[in-house]
Amino acid sequence: MHGTSVGKFYAWFTALGLLVGVLVGLGYYRDEYRPWKDYQRRFIREEIRRASTPDQRLLAQSTPVQVRQILLPELNRVDRCTTCHLAVEDPSYGGYPQPLAYHPLHDQHPFDKFGCTVCHRGQGRATNIEDAHGHVPHWDEPMLPQKYIQASCGQCHEASDNPAAPELARGSELFETVGCRGCHKLAGVGGNIGPELDRVGARRSPDWLRQHFITPAAVTPDSGMPPQKFTDTDIDAIVLFMLSQTGAELPGFYASMKVIPSASEGRRLFQQKGCLGCHSMGGQGGKVGPALDDVGLRRTPEWMMQHFRDPQTVSPGSVMPRFGFTEAEARALTDFLVHLRDQKVGLGILGLMGPVDRGRGIFSKYGCAGCHGPEGKGGVPNANAKTAQQVPALTYVADGYTKAELKGIIFKGQREILPLDPHRPAPPLYMPAWGSTIKDAEADDLVAYLFSLKPKGEDLGF
Amino acid sequence: MPKRIWLWFAHTRVGRSVFRVGLPQSNLERSQAMVSSFLLHVQPAKVSRHALRASYTLGLGLISLYLFLILTVTGVLLMFYYVPSTEQAYGRMKDLQYVVSAGLVVRNMHRWAAHLMVLSVALHMCRVFYTGAYKRPREFNWVLGVGLFLTTLGLSFTGYLLPWDQLAFWAITVGTSIAGYAPLIGPKVQFLLLGGNVVGQEALTRFYALHVIVLPAIAGLMIAVHLWRVRKDGGLSRPDGTEDTVQSIALGQLPTNKSYGLMELARGTTPQVGKDPDDEVFSWPHLIFRELLLFLLVVAVVLFLAVFWNAPLEEVANAVHPPNPAKAPWYFLGLQELVSYSAFWGGVVVPSLLVTALLLLPYMDRRVQGVGRWFARERTIANVIFSVCLVVAVALTIIGTAFRGPNWSWVVPWRPPPAITEGR
Repeated sequence: MHGTSVGKFYAWFTALGLLVGVLVGLGYYRDEYRPWKDYQRRFIREEIRRASTPDQRLLAQSTPVQVRQILLPELNRVDRCTTCHLAVEDPSYGGYPQPLAYHPLHDQHPFDKFGCTVCHRGQGRATNIEDAHGHVPHWDEPMLPQKYIQASCGQCHEASDNPAAPELARGSELFETVGCRGCHKLAGVGGNIGPELDRVGARRSPDWLRQHFITPAAVTPDSGMPPQKFTDTDIDAIVLFMLSQTGAELPGFYASMKVIPSASEGRRLFQQKGCLGCHSMGGQGGKVGPALDDVGLRRTPEWMMQHFRDPQTVSPGSVMPRFGFTEAEARALTDFLVHLRDQKVGLGILGLMGPVDRGRGIFSKYGCAGCHGPEGKGGVPNANAKTAQQVPALTYVADGYTKAELKGIIFKGQREILPLDPHRPAPPLYMPAWGSTIKDAEADDLVAYLFSLKPKGEDLGF
Repeated sequence: MPKRIWLWFAHTRVGRSVFRVGLPQSNLERSQAMVSSFLLHVQPAKVSRHALRASYTLGLGLISLYLFLILTVTGVLLMFYYVPSTEQAYGRMKDLQYVVSAGLVVRNMHRWAAHLMVLSVALHMCRVFYTGAYKRPREFNWVLGVGLFLTTLGLSFTGYLLPWDQLAFWAITVGTSIAGYAPLIGPKVQFLLLGGNVVGQEALTRFYALHVIVLPAIAGLMIAVHLWRVRKDGGLSRPDGTEDTVQSIALGQLPTNKSYGLMELARGTTPQVGKDPDDEVFSWPHLIFRELLLFLLVVAVVLFLAVFWNAPLEEVANAVHPPNPAKAPWYFLGLQELVSYSAFWGGVVVPSLLVTALLLLPYMDRRVQGVGRWFARERTIANVIFSVCLVVAVALTIIGTAFRGPNWSWVVPWRPPPAITEGR
């Protein structure tokens, strides 16, 4: 055959054929062998062991080893967590070691509707531990540490309304009282000195946030944010609240389920639906309907619920219209009225307050305390500011300004802060212009509050 | 052992029906084996020994063809699972990895074969240049080759977007914006490619259609013509003196007092009747077996890469979080590096000139000396010019790939700069 030996071809065919065969085998093995199969076999063995009747035994033995998944098309998620965590819905597995542990308290959020990752985060589509738990490169949503799990409640529910998430409520309260909004915008309300916080929970890790509250400059070198004097539990709470701000928008079903009937939700409804048009509280409001101050003593909650559904059924001849409240709304309003005598719930109805009290609320709402200190007492550092390197206190503004001047400063802001030493960097904090955010009537109330800060009977004689 | 199985099969009733002539035993049957098989008849019954020398061709053209075949097969498999939607595409990539049987391996094969094909086509072009194989009568096949090179880049580039991760999104954003630098038509071309001003669903739909229908069809057709021309232009290029020297007869000059068979009408560089140079061997088995072995080797290499290294998949595409630096696919990084100096010169003038020069090359370089030998002395000037361009292109690509960090500033790959991406 023309000199060249054809025999060597066959040797090469054998060698290369074997090589391809081995590689195909290796690829097949790596594809076929998956640790979740071991977990499933372990679960099936456990089920067989626990079977007490032949039928149960047969059922356990015929359990297939296969990927299990919860499809959540509305959330654009596929959660395969139950491929390993097989017993999450079986209470008899309470206290078992992972991955076979039971998941308590899921009746409000059934797995087939909510899946797992919407609360726990992690990578739902993945089927091995590292990838699924999400602590891997190129995955932005690692699992939320258990201690911050309440942050996930805040994605749907009002932070302050959820009785099952007290730490979230605490974090939210801290956020509003400490005055974070003085510099940061959240949901469109707040200053513009620091970054917006609407998606901070998706962008930052718990560790980053923690570090940031202790010493902001440690994680953001040029941060002008004053270090916060929080206790350890306060830091946990505020970190948790920050983590809840993921900016996730919930579709259809989930958005419709987010209202938890509560007294504070009821208070919002009470203001929003204009109940004070007919009813009165604390002597203020309409005179058409009865005063509601002590309605909780006169009526049972059941009566009130029925009354909200259809006033005629319990109070024939009543002129109150049927408002068509949903059950949740009726329950929230009832809750509010029942707890009306509890100060915390009753306060904060704007219609019932004087300008100074309303102003106090506005001072808090826009986070003025963040820079000017609680009740405007000052003390917040502002490096290189001429005013003793601090943001000025507001206690004596009544002596230095007229109400109109003060309103002007609030609206226009003060971008340039006089430096102590012109050679050092400009002070990081300044007065933002609030004109586009704070409404005119709000500013009037705010000024009234600021003027009220001056201690009674004192007059510096300017 | 394989020989015995083969012998047994070839002589069964089924084997004989498939191969028509059975396993060839005589030279006549070896010729018949080639001519009577649909798949084999594209190739001549006898082939020059020179063309079989691996050190001459390096097998690069065949390797490119095989990679194209592997890409077609794996690509079709991937199409069974892929959905060209910005909502779903990324999730489908994850599903391939986590729940589809062999999904990850198939995707890896497709990815690595695609990179290898860009490489092998480019190297094939270099081989053809350095051996002077583009010269008469193979000028037009070189032009087809340049077209195939550009189509390969197009295929790779359009496929790059489909996983819809950060890597895909920003590479295509950068790549298409390079196209936008061209004067007058640039922005139009960019708009046409993307179906809008930014990379979004429209762009994904277009890239998908281009990637799975338009460009493969163009490539397949051009490959067919390219191979056919190899045959019609006289087989693989050979050193001077071994080329066929029979004069072709211009159709208009045929004597009228004589009738001609088809063979006589064919051009001079087609297989010659009654001419059997000593340096030719039968294609079966000398050519065919080598080709099959090379196929096994290519499959083995692609499989090896696919089993041990996963194709990259970053975070889901996010239009508001550009990575820094955002880089085009590696084969465009030389271009991106040029663009970083001057968008117009680097992004428009240089690449246009290069492509034009490549297309015109066989018509400008008309000397016929030095064909069929690597780095022939007679072609020193051409070789030097080509090498300089090649070295510059490779250097720019390496710089763009490894030595450019955030804000396209200099970095050394073994000492990465402090991360300026925001911490989490």
